[in-house]
Formats: sequence, C-alpha cells, structure tokens
Amino acid sequence: MTRLPAQPGEVIDRSRPVDFTWNGQAMSGFAGDTVASALVAGGVRVVSRSMKYRRPRGYISNDYWDPNGLVQVGDEPNVRSAHRLIEPGMAVEAQNVWPSLERDLRAVTGLASRFLTAGFYYKTFMRPAWLWPTYEKVLATFSPGGRIDPDTPHRYHDKRYAHPDVVVAGGGPTGMAAALAAAGAGARVLLVEHCHRLGGHLLWGDEHDRALAAELAAAVETAGVEVLVDSTVAGRYEDNWTGIVQRSHPVAVERLVKARAKVLIVAPGLIERPYVFDGNDKPGVMLSGAVRRFVNMYAVRPGSAAVLFTANPDGDAAAIDLERAGAEVTVVDARRGEGIVRALGGSKGVEGVVLADGRRLDCDLLVTAAGWTAPTSLLNMSGDRPVYDEAAARFFPSVSIGNVLATGGLAGDGTLDELIEHAMATGRLAAARARAVSHRLQAATARAVPVNGEEPEWPVDERPDLARDPHPALFRSTTHGVVDFSEDVSSKDMVGAAAEGYDSVELLKRYTTATMGPSQGKLETVNTVAVLAEARGQTIAEVGTTVWRPPYAPVTMGALGGRLFEPVRVSSIHPWHEANGAVFMLAGQWIRPDHYGDPAGEALNTRQNVGIMDVTPLGKLDLRGPDVPQLLSHLYTNKWMKLAVGSVRYGIMCGEDGVILDDGVTGRIGDQHYMMTTTSSGAATVWEWAENWLQTEHPDWRVHVTPVTSGYTSINVAGPKSRTLVRRLVGDVDLDPEAFRYMQVRTATVAGIRDCFMWRIGFTGELSFELHVPAGHGLTVWEALLEAGEDLGIRPFGVECQRIMRLEKGHFIVGQDTDGLTKLPAVGMPHLLKLDKPDFAGKPELTWALDDTSTPVLVAIQPTDPSVVPDEASQIVRPGTDEIIGRITSSRMSPTLERSVCLGQVLPEVSRPGSELTVVMIDGRRITARVMEHHAHIDPEGERVRG
Amino acid sequence: MAESPAFESPVSTPYVSYGGVPIEPSGPGSPLTLQDHSSTTKFIVRAGSETNAFRQLSTPFATSRTEDGVLIAGQRPDEWFLVGREQAVRALAGRLDRTGHVSLIDGTHGRAMFRLTGAGSALVLEKLCGLDWNDHMTPDGAAVSGSVAKVTCDIVRNDLDGVPSYLISCDRSFGQYLFDVILDAGQEFGIQPL
Repeated sequence: MTRLPAQPGEVIDRSRPVDFTWNGQAMSGFAGDTVASALVAGGVRVVSRSMKYRRPRGYISNDYWDPNGLVQVGDEPNVRSAHRLIEPGMAVEAQNVWPSLERDLRAVTGLASRFLTAGFYYKTFMRPAWLWPTYEKVLATFSPGGRIDPDTPHRYHDKRYAHPDVVVAGGGPTGMAAALAAAGAGARVLLVEHCHRLGGHLLWGDEHDRALAAELAAAVETAGVEVLVDSTVAGRYEDNWTGIVQRSHPVAVERLVKARAKVLIVAPGLIERPYVFDGNDKPGVMLSGAVRRFVNMYAVRPGSAAVLFTANPDGDAAAIDLERAGAEVTVVDARRGEGIVRALGGSKGVEGVVLADGRRLDCDLLVTAAGWTAPTSLLNMSGDRPVYDEAAARFFPSVSIGNVLATGGLAGDGTLDELIEHAMATGRLAAARARAVSHRLQAATARAVPVNGEEPEWPVDERPDLARDPHPALFRSTTHGVVDFSEDVSSKDMVGAAAEGYDSVELLKRYTTATMGPSQGKLETVNTVAVLAEARGQTIAEVGTTVWRPPYAPVTMGALGGRLFEPVRVSSIHPWHEANGAVFMLAGQWIRPDHYGDPAGEALNTRQNVGIMDVTPLGKLDLRGPDVPQLLSHLYTNKWMKLAVGSVRYGIMCGEDGVILDDGVTGRIGDQHYMMTTTSSGAATVWEWAENWLQTEHPDWRVHVTPVTSGYTSINVAGPKSRTLVRRLVGDVDLDPEAFRYMQVRTATVAGIRDCFMWRIGFTGELSFELHVPAGHGLTVWEALLEAGEDLGIRPFGVECQRIMRLEKGHFIVGQDTDGLTKLPAVGMPHLLKLDKPDFAGKPELTWALDDTSTPVLVAIQPTDPSVVPDEASQIVRPGTDEIIGRITSSRMSPTLERSVCLGQVLPEVSRPGSELTVVMIDGRRITARVMEHHAHIDPEGERVRG
Repeated sequence: MAESPAFESPVSTPYVSYGGVPIEPSGPGSPLTLQDHSSTTKFIVRAGSETNAFRQLSTPFATSRTEDGVLIAGQRPDEWFLVGREQAVRALAGRLDRTGHVSLIDGTHGRAMFRLTGAGSALVLEKLCGLDWNDHMTPDGAAVSGSVAKVTCDIVRNDLDGVPSYLISCDRSFGQYLFDVILDAGQEFGIQPL
C-alpha cells in the first residue's frame, strides 16, 4: 500500500499535511483524505472486526456504505471512515475490540462458528429464563457499535424546512443534469449529494469523465441550484415530504432538512455488489469501485499484486488504473467463463486466490467487479415494488409515480450522453409537474399570490426509454461466503435458515438480520435474494425483494432531534424575581418564583401583615358579546344569567363526563364585557373548550373569547393590611368594605397606570385584592407596591407559600386534589351544582353522579400526631388491612397552626367528620388521622376574606 | 407607542441568543436585523362578515394592507390586527362602525412583536417554522399564523423598501424566549439586534 505520485483526479491537497492518530499511533495524510485513504496510504489493512465471529476486516467498498469501516473518532462512535475526512488531531480507534484490534480475544467465537448459525441466539438463550440477565450482559459485549461517553457535551444539531419545486437525490452526472434542466425550466431545485462533492462516478473516471463532472458542477452553481453535499435524502414520506440529513454545515454538526418537494427526482446511481465466495471478507478483498476511488481520488495503491475478477467494463477500468499505479494485475474474466472460488490468507489479509479451474494465484489484493445493485429505496418508500430483470441482473422500477421520477442507472443503461439526455428530460418533466402542483397549492392557500386560469394539465411522461445492458448473473461462487458484512451473515447461514422454514425473504431477513445493519441492504440485498432463490430452486424474480423503508442510511438521534426548542414563559416581573433571590420552579411552561428563601415566613407575614405574589400565569379570557351569560351558564355548573356588573362569581367547569375540568372566577366588567380566570395550567384547555361549544353546538351565540393571560400582569395583594396598601396606590375606587365587597370587580388606576382592573377574592384565605395591570407596566406597579408597603411589612411570596395558605384555608387545586375521575359532587360544593338549569356541560353525568356512593370524596384530614406530614399521594387504607380506601392529595406543615394540614380523597363511608383513618407513610409506617368537619383549617366562616 | 410611563418590553438587554451567545446590537444598515417592536400599539378587532366593520376593514383573511399609517392584517377569518402608532390606531379604530357583534381589544400589552428584516430573513424563518416562505406562497402583505420554534405566532410579511421584512408577534410571556431563539437561528446569517 503506497501513496502514489500526484494523480490527475486526486482530491487531496498535498500542501496541507494532516496529522492524526490510529489506535494511539501517529499517522498522517493530506487535507481531502478520508480516514480510509489515509489509513490505507499508511499501510493499515485491518480496520475492524466482524460483529459475530470477530474476523479481521479491511475496506471493501471504500465509500459511505463500507460495512467494515465503522470506527470511533474521539467520543463519536460508528463513524464511517471511508467517508469522513481527516482533521488535525483526530483520534481514530477501532471500535468494540478487546484488548486490541490485532488480538481481539473474542475472536475465539470464530472457532465455534459452525455452531453459531443464524438463530443461535434465539435458540440457545431461551432457557433457563432466569439466566437471561446474565446472558444479556455477556451478549452486550458483542454488540456492534462504539463507545458512548455520557459526558459528551451536547452539540448543535439543527433543523430547517424547505419547500423547493424539485429535490434531486443524487449529485452524479444524471442528478446534475436533471437539476440543471429543471432549473432551466424555472424550477427551484435542491440537489442533494451523498459524497463531499458533486460528480458521482465521474470523479474516479478518466480525464473526459472528470472534465464533464467539473463542467456540470459549474453549470449547477451558475444555474442557481441549491446544492447540499455530504447530505443524504434519508426518507420519502407522504406528499413528497423528504427528510435530508446534511452532515457538513458551518454552524451545526448535522442539520435535518425537512423538504416538501413538489417533485422528487431519484438519481442515486448504482452501487457495486460484492461477490459471495469463501474468504470474501478477508482484508484486501475489494470492489472495483473501491480500488478506483483509492487510486484516482486519493492517490493510494491498495495492493501491489492484484487478482481482478471482472464481469464488466468498470472492472476492466480498475485493472487499467491498478496497472498505471504500478501493481501487477491478473485478470480473471467472468465473461470468458473464468471464476474464483476461495480467497486464501490469514488474519492479516488475503494472500492468494483459488480459481475455478483449480489454479492458485498469490496476491495481496483481490478485486471483484460482479455487478450492480439498484438502490431503489426512495422508490420503495414512494410505493414502488421494483422488479428483477434477469438479463441485466438487477432490479428496475415497476410503476410510474407522478411526483417521483427516476433517472440514471436506476432507470436503465446507455452511453453517458444517452443517460444525460434522459436526465434532462426528467428534469424538464419534473419542473412542468412542479408547476402544476404549485398552481394547485397557490389556489388553495389564501395568502399566496393568486393564480389565474385552470390548473394546468398533468404533464405526460414522454421521456425516451433507456436500454438495459446485459450483465452476467454473478452472485455466489461454488463456495459459501459472507453476504451481509455488517451483520456477519453468510450464505451458509441463509441456506440453513431457509431449510428451517424461514424461506420467505421477509422472514429470512428478520431471522438472520441480513440487510438490517448499517449498510441498510445497499451491498447485500440482491445477494440475499439470490442465495434464497438458489436455496428454494426459484428465480430471483419469484423470490422478490424485501421492502426498503426509511431511513435510506442510518440517521443519528441528534439529527432527528434537531435544535431542541423548549419554550418558556415569564411574566413582566421576572427580571425583579431574578434580581431578588427568587427560587424558581417550572409550572407548565411558566417559570415562577417558588419562594424567596423562606416560604413559611412568607406565609406568616401574609397572615399578619401583607404579601404580594406574581400570579400572572393565572389564565385570563376576555369575553365580549350579548350572549356571554349563555356561554357561562353552559360552561359552569352554577348560574350566571343574573351576574351584575361589578360582581365576581366562582364556578367549576366539568367535562361532558361530569369530571372537573377547571375552576376559577369570572367577573362582569361591563354590560357585555366579562373577564374569566382559569387555573394557570388550564387556560388553553378552557379557551378551546369555550371555542368548541361556540363553533359547534352554539354558533348562534354572539361571543368573542380572546385569551389575554399575558396582557395583564396579575398581582395578588393579600393580608390584613392589604386594603391599607392598595388604598395608597388607587385613588379612583372606593375601597371601603361596603363599597367594594368580597367577590366584586372594579376598573382602576393603580400607581398611575390606567385600565387596570381588580377584584376582591382570596385564594389564600386572607383579605385580598387581585390587581390586573396592563403587562407593559406590571413591573412599575409591583415595585410601587413594595415601596408603598414598606412600613406595612410587605414581603413578596411565592407559589409554595400560596400552596400552604390555600391548604390552610381548604381550597382545592384542580388536578392536584382532583383527578381524572373526580366529579363535582365529590368536592363538597353542592351549592355549585344547579340541576334546574336547562342544560350545561356535563349535566346528565352529574345528575347520575349525585346518587353515586362508591367514588372517593374530598375531605380535610388531620394526622393524630400534628408534627407528622404525610407525603402527598400517601395511601389511606382500611385499618388492619392493605385495602386502599383513599389517598392524601395535599399536605403541608402549617406555620400558622403549627401542625400538619391535609386534604385527601377517601371513600364516602369514611368521609364523615371524625372518621378515623390509617395513612401509610412512604417508609411503610402507618399513622392515624381523622376527617375534619370543614375543608378549611383556618377561618372556616370566611371572616378574613370578607373583611 | 403605549402611554407613559415607559412601556416595559418583554425583551431584556444585553442580548443573548438562545444558545447563550452574547450578541452586540448593530446600527441601521445591517443586512439582517431583529428589532423589538413590542411597544407598538396593537389592537385586535373581531367582527363577523355581517357587520359594517368587516366591510370597513376591507382586508381579506391572510392578507394585509396599510391605511393612514396603520397596518391592518387579516390574521383569521373574523379577526384583524391593527398595528401602528397609538394615535393612528386609535383613530382608525374609532372610525369603525361598532354596530352588531364587534369587539375591539388593546393587544399592545399582551403581544410581543419583533421585526425581522433582511434578504436572509426567510432563511431564518425556515429554521424555525414549517411554512413556505417563498415569494409566491408568502408574498409581501401576506398574513399567516403558525408555530415558530414551538410558539404560536402571527406573522405579517411587511417589506421595507423592497427588502423582505416580517412582523412576528406572539404571546408576551414567550417574547424573551422567541427573541433569543430568532437570534440563535439567525447567527449563521449574521443577524444583529437593532
């Protein structure tokens, strides 16, 4: 293996040496080298071990698909070394070998290979079942793949949407020609090429080929075609939604492009197929294309004494390339009836070959050119089932798909000119069809530029048919060899599997795992089918193929995940909270202050003085229209037809199943203007719920529902001194208890900010004023409150304090103290259920639920030991048994009462005040508790809130 | 602009992208800019097709136009945004016939709004939103709603002197997040906050 003098088509830059390491050893190459070309130039022949038998492997196809070239690069496993370019300082290692690539002790499995046939795992490790965990640990050490470092920092994976007229999959000569023709016909074209540069097989061809590649690439650039190189169309889905993985990008390690193509052109070319024979996986056995790429693109001679088994002109060209590179070449020509039977050699690679006529030839490189696989994956994903052509010995598309067009080697053969002519016709057809699709889309999209006239007729496919060149049907020699290099599956395994009854190609695939490895069938599918056909005594056409599904090539989880967007919501006071020591919690998407260091102290202060809390996340819906009362009456279970202007009412909403959906207060601000509040997490649900009724059952109701949650900064001013504080900032509202009573609403100017509204309600159980301030001035009012309340002992309080205080007061929280089965009668508020209303959401179910005595009800619970706080969700059991009869739904230590306070759901039979309960603690202890008379532990008569 | 005291924007400075990269603001003339317009007055009008207001607004769904300095955007079939200087917006709103079922809500405080301007602005949006931003599908004047980085947004294409420009508005509480995300997406195109 030698680095050759400068080659006319080489893509390396000899002026830029690149140093890297291979298994810790210093190596060097040039910019433009792949890891593979640099390693082979440096004399490396063995780069990996096979998955099952740990056999030494070298490069076979020397491209993205090479099943033997997966390596670890730094913290990145499964890097395709025949594709990845070397970089300075890159640390490349063989993966999953122990203790070393040269001496992998697990190669001992190879000694038992005759027993490790397909299905060995399934048959052997079934029994005894209790040993499976041990089996699993041992088997895991054999699993392919590299090393994952959980401490690897997240890298920037990105995502992008695109809406081109035409996506061309494949940047070879036909892909480029198709893209050019489509662009020339006015289409916006996205050209996607798997390799690092456009050109396809022309890049390792002769001078004429390279000149044509350069000419087409230059034309593509000037035609305005968007080109993505080092990118793969990984899948085609409904409506030509194509997923494209872009591996080279200036800012992202990978980018998933979600392209909605009006027309997809599939032009991936052909993939060279390995030949199956004994020893075909020895290092030094290569495909002709691999050799040509090594020699012509990277100036590397992969061997000095070559035997070349060829059945086509590409093999002949490889022989010429090798001879030019100084290798001795012996050609074995299948077209003359010659053949190869067995590769010879040890762990370091091939040393010779036995021919069909019995001769033995020495060599360090055995090249095969046995035919082609048509990578029809994208056509399969579009609904095509390719059919086998015996004369050409490969598969071809079988059906016409309107917005998916094939060209190039996938469609047929011919001279380069003929293929390019077909591709250009394909590009023009694609552009014409894209125009028809675009017309349809624009006509159906309100915001689009209007289109005139009828939709154009669907352009007819008038492309010339391509010929199909005959090719010898070469799949397997007279010996058995490896079919799937990724999964270490041999033709012998397959014959055995077929004999066991796994004789349909889909069954065989799943039983042997052939075609399921990183190569995704690109090298092995046709050989798999051919071996099975031979075993069944049928033709390949009769056996058929497996279905190729997405992805076309393996996709990283990072690419699928893309840029991780996690929207968060903050109130206008958030900067103040940050600057003043708030400890935050995530409530849905909202970032809220949980507390400011001392939630119990915050509660005590609010009970004694005054506290303020940022309650902006409270859902707020602006309701306008003459029929708002009808809507409210329908959504809530209580009555709303006579709510006076300036009044506020509490209500509970239930679903049609009677289960509590949300709760909150709604105030009437004007004649036809109401403001509804919902729970913080229920705002979107309630909005949808209201719109659902308005848009389906009651479109006649004139109501506009507008979410305004963020439009107002909401501040709860609570505590016995709250009125004194609010009075200092509000001059245009009479705050006297008789003038502005509990459960009333007023519009006000607060701290000079107009258009605020405030209502008197009290979730904390204290005298409270809830201020709703236009959000653009929320921070102003918050700071004004703090300043004005300084002498009153004002302190901010957070969610934890609020939860303590509401629990002391016995207010339940929907979703915490209720669950997906809790209906209104269970929460002890019978006055809210007005069954004499004509109709409301959930009425039939709630009517029935009134008689239900089997479902738990909500009660206040007091542990006998006041210092014990059972965890929320602790089970309540029948004394002396494990029979669950309820659970604690909320629990806290009350700083005001200096004892624990709880709410819980229990069966009705134990819900009477004074009932003794047994609560199972998290540590298994059982404590006793009793049911309280009221939900409220503090101020059950409500004197404070009405104060 | 909203009335004094000063409007508190949902976007705080100094500017830091979603990925945590500090970004210096630029002056006018940068090829790709993001500007906070949250303080711009934004009224929401809802009116059924049977109302005079509907006819007065004369702006079909998914389109926009400018009248007396006020951008009128038909965001939904019965809902419009009026965007502009406070006085102009109030004047236009005041001329609307409120007969029938017509609602007028000041959305200034509830909606964050940003202007993304520059030849590459559609490329930024392509990274965040699945809609088709090509000229024939989203021409100047188009009004559209969709998910931008998982946040529901109303977007109006409102070119400035022939340069593509998009007014993007969202719920105020998402404002900081969305601003940071757009800066993050625009970094590869040289975006700068104004």
